[in-house]
Amino acid sequence: MSKTVQIRFGGFGGQGIVLAGLLLGRAATFEGKFVAGSNSYGVAARGAACRSEVVISEDPIDFPQVTIPDIVVVMSQRAYDLFSRQVAKGGLIFYDSQFIVPRRRRGMVEVPATEMALRNVEEKRVANVILLAAVVAQTGIVSQGALLRAIDESVKGKFLELNRKAAALGFHWKEEIHER
Amino acid sequence: MAWKRIKASLPPGRYYLSGNEAVAEGAIAAGCRFYGGYPITPSSETMERMAHRLGQIGGIFVQMEDELSSIAAVIGASWAGAKAMTATSGPGLSLMMENIGYATFTETPCIIVDIQRAGPATGQATRVGSGDIMQAKWGSHGDYQIIAVSPWSVQEMYDGTIRAFNFAERYRVPTFVLGDEAVGHLRETLEIKPWVRVFDRKKSRGRPPFDSKNPRQIPPMPTFGEGETLLVTGSTHDGHGIRRTDDPKVHSRLVRRLNDKILLNQQHIVDTEEFFIEDSVLTVLCYGFTARSALTAVKELREEGHRVGFMRLKTLWPFPHERVAQLSQGVEKIFVPEMNRGPGGRGGHEIQPV
Repeated sequence: MSKTVQIRFGGFGGQGIVLAGLLLGRAATFEGKFVAGSNSYGVAARGAACRSEVVISEDPIDFPQVTIPDIVVVMSQRAYDLFSRQVAKGGLIFYDSQFIVPRRRRGMVEVPATEMALRNVEEKRVANVILLAAVVAQTGIVSQGALLRAIDESVKGKFLELNRKAAALGFHWKEEIHER
Repeated sequence: MAWKRIKASLPPGRYYLSGNEAVAEGAIAAGCRFYGGYPITPSSETMERMAHRLGQIGGIFVQMEDELSSIAAVIGASWAGAKAMTATSGPGLSLMMENIGYATFTETPCIIVDIQRAGPATGQATRVGSGDIMQAKWGSHGDYQIIAVSPWSVQEMYDGTIRAFNFAERYRVPTFVLGDEAVGHLRETLEIKPWVRVFDRKKSRGRPPFDSKNPRQIPPMPTFGEGETLLVTGSTHDGHGIRRTDDPKVHSRLVRRLNDKILLNQQHIVDTEEFFIEDSVLTVLCYGFTARSALTAVKELREEGHRVGFMRLKTLWPFPHERVAQLSQGVEKIFVPEMNRGPGGRGGHEIQPV
């Protein structure tokens, strides 16, 4: 990976877009990286189009917001339509195939996150973590251990075990696709 | 009293926090034990975290009925001996102005965190702006000085808040943390060091709390309940706080001293940061979050071979006149990007060399 990686998450408020950014940011912090993150605020975070961004770098970060993302992670058609045109050359778009019909092929990575969540743990609310874990497994932006630690420190109560399961599912998402 | 080294309130290490959360942690680290406030976007996370943290460590948190009473409660807490803070945004700051003037005149250490949003009036609550820079300095009536720090990162929201408390205690003056929505809601890596250097207000039994022979020196500050005769008034007063509303000499002495105690100590307060100044023909002068964009732009221009310099104001008030004047000597133009319409109200302005 290059010295600085920019990641943008998009979806509906309530899907856990903000949490996904927070988990990734914490995980990268554990690994000693410089991290900057920002997200939608206000009504956008509660039902409307929602976005969350993380910049991860080996060096101190001058401008802390995403300009051109290297990785785009989308969980709604609207977010896909909004963000898919703005990706760095050679960048990747991870998408939840439950919600999105892509109009391009290059750089597209299909993760049936919501479907996997419903089938395996009967809880679609952890689709965000499945998707994030798949991104981590595919790109290595942070280690799987760092993401698990971030989950441990950010998620409380009965949802902790559920989110750990979701991360495990995401780390092995390719096998899931293969089984289909 | 005065300077001391204390353990940081969080275990040392690297954290991933928002700017508003970092302000709260900086306040706790500096010794803040009272928060009075009224929630307002985009500053509310500071209040939320203070409610949580002060509960943990036995401090006092009060949600007041509005911003007028919030700053009043903070002033009262300060005279009761606490390091005290409030956080707000533009509309709340407007409401606080009367009592901020009172705090300057009564020499009350207190911290006002202003997470600026797009104004005037209610404006755009969730959008960034820096339209309160002049209000922070000139918003109340009469001749007075305040101190303001201008953080550009989550790290500085933490360090700058500690620094603001130290300024407030050392100079007995309301001190502003002039952040904005972008840095308040930004999450970033924050390094917490094991030790924090803090300043506690000076005590000196029997010495007048409102006068000093040398205007550079700050009078001691007693607390109600310590046994000293203490009177605090927003009317003109002598060294012992006795109202002297007819004597022009007393008024002149007091108002001059309150301005001088800040202006004559400028060299201990003003802080700037400069990059690429040596060979620069053009220089960008900026502060706060805008400086993050500006530094990126300056680096890009330098890569293209342009001799552009960069100067950032880490403290905004008192304004670093001397340093900016020096800077203007060697350059053709100084560009000042800001998220406001500038003093003339006509948008971006240029400072020509003098």
